[in-house]
Amino acid sequence: MSAVTAQDRMTLNMTFVCQGKKPHDYINAEQDIREEIRKIMKDIEKPLREITTVLQVIHHEPNVEQLNAACLNARHIFEEVRQGYAALDNIIPTNQYYRYNDHWRFATQRLCFLAALVVFIETGILISKETAAEILGINNKTNIHLDLEDYLMGILNMASELARFAVNSVTFGDYERPLQISKFVAQLNAGFRLLNLKNDSLRKRFDALKYDVKKIEEVVYDLSIRGLSQHAGGGEGSAKGPQE
Amino acid sequence: MSKQKGRGKRSKPVVGDRAKEVVESIDDNNPVIIMFREYAAQLDDKHDKYERIVKHSRDITIESKRIIFLLHNSNTDIDSKKQSILEEADKRLKAVVDTNLRAVAEELREEDGYQFLRAYTNGLQEFIEALTFYQFIKNDNIDDWNKINHMFKYEDETGQEFKLLFPQYEFILGIADFTGELMRRCINTLGVGNIEDCFKLCNFVRHINTGVLGLMSHGNKELSRKAYVLRQSLEKMELVCYNIQIRGTEIPKHMLISVIESSDVKDDIDEGFY
Repeated sequence: MSAVTAQDRMTLNMTFVCQGKKPHDYINAEQDIREEIRKIMKDIEKPLREITTVLQVIHHEPNVEQLNAACLNARHIFEEVRQGYAALDNIIPTNQYYRYNDHWRFATQRLCFLAALVVFIETGILISKETAAEILGINNKTNIHLDLEDYLMGILNMASELARFAVNSVTFGDYERPLQISKFVAQLNAGFRLLNLKNDSLRKRFDALKYDVKKIEEVVYDLSIRGLSQHAGGGEGSAKGPQE
Repeated sequence: MSKQKGRGKRSKPVVGDRAKEVVESIDDNNPVIIMFREYAAQLDDKHDKYERIVKHSRDITIESKRIIFLLHNSNTDIDSKKQSILEEADKRLKAVVDTNLRAVAEELREEDGYQFLRAYTNGLQEFIEALTFYQFIKNDNIDDWNKINHMFKYEDETGQEFKLLFPQYEFILGIADFTGELMRRCINTLGVGNIEDCFKLCNFVRHINTGVLGLMSHGNKELSRKAYVLRQSLEKMELVCYNIQIRGTEIPKHMLISVIESSDVKDDIDEGFY
């Protein structure tokens, strides 16, 4: 008889462990939060797409006013992004950022890229992590922050876009821009070399940076060899002469 | 003109020149370099911490596996021997909680545990497997999440409390592993000729299976995989019970095991096509 009672006890216990309220409540609560996050991400991804479109003007023979207008416009739309992240901050439980961050990681990387691009067009300098967080509206938040890896990923994305920008600038007769980009990306490259990257996605993305560097260098080379650029013209050409 | 001939294939070695120039001209005071130095330090810190936790996790896994092996030896009729094994297992489990798991918890203080969960999830699951197996052998029962979660509360010298992140989900995964040990034990018990235990174990796993199925609502890969393994173990055990029931009167008890093992093989082949 004792075996029977032991079994009954077990049955009760397992009911508690697996079928009882606790794990179910836990999983349902998690599902609810994820649903909320997905809703908010929709609100963030909409301005994300808009900014992407707005900034594509750099590849469409822009003049200075158009560039400035695009940057202003982008900064304006970033306000919607900031609202989205503020809402996100409200629903993520404390110390659980990394439990859910798959939902917003990709969008955050894209937004970092866009913010970095805006800052580069406006000032020509590299956006800092703090500035990026500010533009995205995730600075000084309690439950969310800008992950360093997401920021770095955004920077690497920008390098690819700048490679395209360099090529198109030449097409539109702007021979100075590629030199600026070349210097900028070379600095980026030097910076990334200081990082000890693990064999992760960031490392893979960084490995692709060299192709962007190469592309930009080729553009600069084409310009300098024809003397099309004031700065790279004579000096560069003669420097390369002896190597032939 | 010679410059233009240099284009095309031979352009490659020359192309990097400007980049090289820029790199050489960058000094330590370059703002980009200063920024990246800081990022490098941050990344290194994070990676180091991750690796340290992985090391602890590996230690936990090894010790847990040894404890499980030890517990499998408790399958004996001699009560005193069983008691001494249980005592040793208990001591070693407590040691893991107080040293390795504590070390992980200390690394995770002031951190978002979920960031490093992947570094120690394997050790944690293995530990849960060993712990529940011990509890089951001792009490025919396992503790619920709250009780076990309470084990992971620590205090430092100044009396400040900190605890190891132990998501319910990890608990369920650990229990799923634990059923594999029950299956092994079920077969072993049969070898000894202890038939009642077979039914008991099988029944217990049945309940776990029911419970896990109730949690399968969302498409989680790891849980689905474990649920599949769990189902296989359960089918094996149910087959054992079936054989005991139908042939138990025909064959001497100690020979039942060979009958079941031969039908096991057949069963595995079937699974292949399933």
